[in-house]
Amino acid sequence: MTAFLAGMALLLVAAASCAAFRRRSFGDGVFTACVIAGAAVASVPAVQVLLGATLPQLRWRAGVPGGDWVLGIDPLSAIFLLAILVVGAASAAFGAAYQARERGHRAVWLSHAAFALVLAAMALVVTARSVLLFLGAWELMALGSYVLIVTEHEHPTVRRAGLIYLVTTHAGTLALLAMFAIWTSGSRDWTFAALAANGPRLALGGGVVLALALVGFGAKAGLVPLHFWLPAAHASAPSHVSALMSGVVIKMGIYGILRVVALLGPPPAWWGWVVLAIGVASAVLGVLWALVQHDVKRLLAYHSVENIGIILIGVGVGALGAASGHPIIAVIGYGAAALHSLNHALFKGALFLAAGAIYRATGTRDLEQLGGLARRMPLTWLGFLVAAVAIIGVPPLNGFVSEWLVFQGLLRAGQSAEALRLVVFAAPALALVGGLALACFAKVAGIVFLGHPRSSQAAEAREAGAGLLAPVLVLAFACVVIGTVPALVMRPVMVVGATVAGEHWVPIAAALSDVFADAGRISWLAIGLLLVGAILWLARRAALRRQVVRTGPTWACGYPHPTPRMQYTASSFAAPLASVFGRLAGVREHRGATVFHSTPVDLVLDAAVLPLWARVERAALRLRPMQQGRLHVYLIYVVVTVVLVLGYLVLAPTR
Amino acid sequence: MLSAILSLALLLMLAPLLPGVAARTRSLLTGRRGPPVHQLYIDLWKLMRRGVVYSETTTPIFRLAPIVVAATVVIAATLVPLDRTSSVLRFSGDAVAFAYLLGLGRFLLVLGALDTGSSFEGMGASREVTFASIVELGLFFAIATLAVATQELSLSGMLGAPLGRHWAQAAPSLVMVALGLFSLLLAECARVPVDDPSTHLELTMIHEVMVLDHGGPDLALLLFAGAAKLAVFSALVVALIVPAPARSLPVALAILVAGTVGVAIAVGVVESATARLRLPTVPLYLAGAAALAGFGLVLVVR
Amino acid sequence: MHSLAEPILLLVVLTDFAVLATSRLSACIRAIASQGVLLGTLSLVVDGAWSIHAIALALGTIAIKAMLLPWFLRWAIREASVRREVEPLVGYMPSFLLGAAALVVSFAVAARLPATGSGPLLVPVALVTVMIGLVVLITRTKAISQVVGYLMLENGIYLFGLTQARRVPFLVEAGVLLDVFVGVFVMGIVVFHINREFDSISATNLSELRES
Repeated sequence: MTAFLAGMALLLVAAASCAAFRRRSFGDGVFTACVIAGAAVASVPAVQVLLGATLPQLRWRAGVPGGDWVLGIDPLSAIFLLAILVVGAASAAFGAAYQARERGHRAVWLSHAAFALVLAAMALVVTARSVLLFLGAWELMALGSYVLIVTEHEHPTVRRAGLIYLVTTHAGTLALLAMFAIWTSGSRDWTFAALAANGPRLALGGGVVLALALVGFGAKAGLVPLHFWLPAAHASAPSHVSALMSGVVIKMGIYGILRVVALLGPPPAWWGWVVLAIGVASAVLGVLWALVQHDVKRLLAYHSVENIGIILIGVGVGALGAASGHPIIAVIGYGAAALHSLNHALFKGALFLAAGAIYRATGTRDLEQLGGLARRMPLTWLGFLVAAVAIIGVPPLNGFVSEWLVFQGLLRAGQSAEALRLVVFAAPALALVGGLALACFAKVAGIVFLGHPRSSQAAEAREAGAGLLAPVLVLAFACVVIGTVPALVMRPVMVVGATVAGEHWVPIAAALSDVFADAGRISWLAIGLLLVGAILWLARRAALRRQVVRTGPTWACGYPHPTPRMQYTASSFAAPLASVFGRLAGVREHRGATVFHSTPVDLVLDAAVLPLWARVERAALRLRPMQQGRLHVYLIYVVVTVVLVLGYLVLAPTR
Repeated sequence: MLSAILSLALLLMLAPLLPGVAARTRSLLTGRRGPPVHQLYIDLWKLMRRGVVYSETTTPIFRLAPIVVAATVVIAATLVPLDRTSSVLRFSGDAVAFAYLLGLGRFLLVLGALDTGSSFEGMGASREVTFASIVELGLFFAIATLAVATQELSLSGMLGAPLGRHWAQAAPSLVMVALGLFSLLLAECARVPVDDPSTHLELTMIHEVMVLDHGGPDLALLLFAGAAKLAVFSALVVALIVPAPARSLPVALAILVAGTVGVAIAVGVVESATARLRLPTVPLYLAGAAALAGFGLVLVVR
Repeated sequence: MHSLAEPILLLVVLTDFAVLATSRLSACIRAIASQGVLLGTLSLVVDGAWSIHAIALALGTIAIKAMLLPWFLRWAIREASVRREVEPLVGYMPSFLLGAAALVVSFAVAARLPATGSGPLLVPVALVTVMIGLVVLITRTKAISQVVGYLMLENGIYLFGLTQARRVPFLVEAGVLLDVFVGVFVMGIVVFHINREFDSISATNLSELRES
């Protein structure tokens, strides 16, 4: 735990150094070094815990109500802590290089300091073991994220996105406050240990608490239909902030849900079904809406909705397994959720950072303006390609490992006897998500990196510098490691699953031995692919040795003058799938004799939330006459309220 | 293990025969003679001795794509119990790996197509990913049905000899799954009514148009991969609908050869009897195939 | 319950989906006709006893549901020269998905209903046929498609009747005769009148009949 505190201290030093060296050019270096060092130091206890060590909790007598302040790291904290620190350090290093150019005209130091503070706040969120500490860290994280989102506040769209984010996150916090208020009622001790002891006494088996947790943490995680703030916020922030937000900040919602489940014990079955249904809806709709986006970063943000859906499918399977007395299914489900959280942090971080590098090189995020970047930015392309293969969940990268684990849970649940077996219907839905994600990333990778440049900016792009490339490649490398040697992570992840399910590790480990063995066999896929691929490569080379290899123009089916404008566009690439799903896809198509273009519409934000908001605003205007601006009118209000409350007390039935 | 490797080798050697069998069946049924059954072997041999012209637009991924496509099909084949009892590589959830390996191949194939910058290849790529995502839905309905019906998690337990025991109880749903899987095979392996391997109009192509710019050994790899995919899917269908246990290796190999050729003949019959669907109706066809498999799942979960 | 009933019931479901998925009216009619044949055969199979009464019922069902009504419908599309359902209110893919959802729901519901002793499939298939019939009725605009949906609905009710065939004799027969009579009569008049009034048989034109 000392190492953890030291790491936090280093993060605070990083934040302070930004303020101290705000005009010096070496400030960036100090900032990066401090964040990386802090992350490295603080991740030591996380790794220890995941490898089986138990660390003592830290406890302070607090002067405020609500009992002691407690910090602790258990496996559930550790895996999220690891994701925060790895992605956070990579994004911070990227950010220092990314914003170096803006030093002159913007308070870059403020953005860096907020970044380090958000990192520390998130580390505190996952280690806090008492309510006030948790909520304080939660709020610090939310506000710090707001500062980061509105970094480029000169654009009105950025300010609007920030506002929507701020309102949503506080609505979520409100739900969390209500949740903790119900949970702690009648008790002076607000530590998590006391919450766990209080759990069995809650009404409806903790149903209200679980429902509020789903709303409060769900708003942060961005599950459908509470995702509406997410695409705009993640797209408007600078890219390293997007990587942090999409990679780890939304995972804090997942952490919260898992923590509540761990404290409450097996949730009721209906909650599991709700989570599973929301998970399927988020996954399918998230990827579908991603498919029709033309802004690289908005597209990636919608993919976060999809992946949160996949994670929630894991959580739902785990909850249903626990509710119906199948500890193995419960552990696999929760473990899959934890592993996919980590994996998604890694590849989504890499993707957003790569998107940032593209934006720096071309000055646009519009897919229809890009193209042919693979030739000009080969290393960015490499990092993006690896992360894309990872996110679509195909072997031999890490996305496959966690989706495989989710499928394990789904199919095992399908093989059980009771109502639990209906869970198996989520498996084809998840497969559909995989297929659609493949389509989506084929579109992004193909349109952005391959073919001819569609604009002069894309044609003149230069490869990003080492400061931007290194973080992308490090994260991509982590994806490769987990994907090719899943045996490395399988045991720690299952420990996390057992922690959430509240199962003892030793019997569970024995029952899971076949899962561990099978996870080891996944490595053979990578080895086999490499081997067969190498053989085929050699065969091809041998065949071509005596032959003429020439280059020429692309075959345009007889047309003599192909131009870049004739290439398939992002709109047209996604059009067949959008038409399959009809109105659900949320696109507006513009067809003309010579043009086809589509604009995406967010079905929740544009079609439901904003109209609803407008209506509320109009209704609120009716109350306007009450605001007279005169003191005695307000005093009358106060008196009336007091009289009403007193009257209620008099008339209300006495307990 | 040895028998699994032997049958895998046999299947891969046999694979180029199957498109020829299908084409021959189609020709005979429509009153033509058609190319010889071993035409694809001749084509592959010819292509391996040709040079290549690469487009100026392309990047290394264009050269990588055919290799990955072929490698993924081969690795996917190692997961299928070709000798009716075991596969070369077996683990729980390998069915997921099977489907997703083909996904990796498809991803690279599509990137290779987009790498040329040709609008025709973009069109083919767009259609391919559209239809494949619905195929994947149906494939997993089939996998889930088999997993629930047999209480097994690996393809080797779900198919072939172990499945034989379950035909008695789950016959209706297994028939549905078999029909669905065959319909999906037609789509996944680019056959009529979804795609037409013998069409000459680029605008109507799906798979063919994506490989327009490939030549020489690259094209040979892609053609081989297509044939191997057909062989693997045929072997899946055979392992599903022939419940007989294999008494010995020769019997198992005989069932494999006869079965896959039989499926290829069935493909040829379908191709001669039906016309190609209009492109907007293909998703409906695929959804129908998925619904067949899904109905199987409903029956078996009930 | 004869074991032959199960495959027949599964084929009934397949014909339901065939109607949902096709836009060609003649194909729809073919599907509904084959469903009639299946239902006729089913009434023979369910009882297992080949009484004259059962055979007569089967033949009557097939004659009406598989020959008379399809013939009438074919005549109608020839007269009105409509061949396709052009603009369904809900697209084919979504209505197909609705049908799939109906399938899952009816199997889930049927598992909770008291057993009728007529096999595990009869009740859910009856439910699914009724629901898909409703889906067709709601989502299609051409009067012909709506007649097909109505027939499907009626077929589902017929299947429900089969579950009670042993306990309540003549229920099925009465149902067949009455429904068919009403069906032919009402729809015949409606189609004829719409056709004469508007030179087309699209049911959306019916809304012009309301008093303004």
